[in-house]
Amino acid sequence: MLSELKELWKFRELLFTMVQRELKIRYKNSALGFLWSMLNPLITVMVMSFMFENFLHRGAGVPSATAYILAAYLPFTFFQLCLLDSSQSILSAMPLIKKIYFPREILPLASVLSNFIHLVMALGMFFVYLLVVYLRSIIGHGGFANAESPFRLTAIYLPILLVINLVLSTGLSLFISAMNTFYEDVKYIVSVVTYLMFFMCPILYFEESVANSALNLKWGGWLYKLMNLNPVFSLSSAYRKVLVAPPKITVDNGAVMVPMPLDWRYIGWAGLISVVILIGGYATFNKLKWRFVERP
Amino acid sequence: MEGPAIVVSDVKKEFLLNNSGANSIKTALLWWKRRKLRHLQVLKGISFDVKQGECVAVVGRNGAGKSTLLALMARVYKPTSGSISMNGRVAPLLELGAGFHPDLTGLENVYFNAIILGLTRKEVRERIDKIIAFSELGDHVNSPTRTFSSGMLARLGFSIAVHVDAEILLVDEVLSVGDFEFEKKCYAKIDEFRAGGGTILFVSHNTHAVRRIADRCVWLHKGYVQKIGSPDEVIPLYESTPMDTDTLA
Repeated sequence: MLSELKELWKFRELLFTMVQRELKIRYKNSALGFLWSMLNPLITVMVMSFMFENFLHRGAGVPSATAYILAAYLPFTFFQLCLLDSSQSILSAMPLIKKIYFPREILPLASVLSNFIHLVMALGMFFVYLLVVYLRSIIGHGGFANAESPFRLTAIYLPILLVINLVLSTGLSLFISAMNTFYEDVKYIVSVVTYLMFFMCPILYFEESVANSALNLKWGGWLYKLMNLNPVFSLSSAYRKVLVAPPKITVDNGAVMVPMPLDWRYIGWAGLISVVILIGGYATFNKLKWRFVERP
Repeated sequence: MEGPAIVVSDVKKEFLLNNSGANSIKTALLWWKRRKLRHLQVLKGISFDVKQGECVAVVGRNGAGKSTLLALMARVYKPTSGSISMNGRVAPLLELGAGFHPDLTGLENVYFNAIILGLTRKEVRERIDKIIAFSELGDHVNSPTRTFSSGMLARLGFSIAVHVDAEILLVDEVLSVGDFEFEKKCYAKIDEFRAGGGTILFVSHNTHAVRRIADRCVWLHKGYVQKIGSPDEVIPLYESTPMDTDTLA
């Protein structure tokens, strides 16, 4: 694996160029260009939060349901797009692979990195959104006294979460891109699994709701622990906790749930499993990469 | 540099062919017992050397393994057994426009292709003017390559490959694209490349081209080396050999 990494380092310029190329191609022929990266999730989430505020969690409150959903939804779409894009990355570059040598892992890596750049830019827009909501609430309620600051100090933990997320997505992407080259079912499996994953992660609901659910209490808290084994679950709730103020969630009987603090043990677990997935994914990729061109 | 530029020693290459063609987990699970995998031996033990500064042509009928040999040298495949050592930077002349993205401009594609061939961005910037001038595209380089004609693609592709300062050039039957004027320019460039001590290995069905530029000729026949020698010696023999009817599918 070490020699492969050395080879990859030698071709780093190609990786940068490939990322640049993907970024250029994606919005090449569209009028709004990069704006789609933010517009798309924003519109989706506004529809979601309309449902959320009116039918699901009445009074989720500060600062708005949209902020809560966006904080978890943006990283989730990154994860999802990484897996979907990279599953096709080898096959769509087949004409090139058949003609010339370069480290094959550059193809899925370029998909992951270009999506990551989109995530970082979208998170930048997210902060702008928070600021807008804040300013609106100042104007609406007259004065700074009632409005909470939109930026939280815990946002300094964001890079840690982003790195874990990147490691996890890279590992899975390497694995998926290699497998999809031989079995094209893989991409359909990936799209179903990530779709289901969306509901299994605290994006449309809060992890407090899981922890306080009747089912979880009946199981003695094991359901919550089990769901936290999924690194995407713990990451989703962690993004929310570091970026947005704790929610005030009312349950059916009118009681308010106690917001849970960020549990670093689960983040540690997510980091560990992500590294294992990255090593495993890269090893699988390296084992299969010479057979890509000669797939039967 | 010391020693030969290319050493091919006892190279064998085998491919697995799947008759069904379908490639899904379902077929793999359901039919793994009945799966018919055909082994296709393309190269059956090939050895030869290419000296520094030499120009070697590989000739042979369709299916003789010429393109596979070139792909092995470009490190697209790994040999099943045996080894190939390339002494110096290799530039495979890609099938024209293979690496071009249709939505990107010619210029953007030049950067991408030259970097794939091993240049750094800085090195591309230094020779971008020369590449564009040689390709004779002028202002067209700023339009997307989907608007290019095949001749324009060919010119740009060739221009990139000869400007990356490779020591070994691998050419697979691509010189026949482009008009007569440009072909002449390509041959001039190839002569210049050779005068600078560059090594060329090329595959061609065009025996005139082989006689014109090759020092030596390797004749491949059904995965074996049939004969190695000067073009004047090999080509008459090759051309007088009757076409086989049992060629590989």
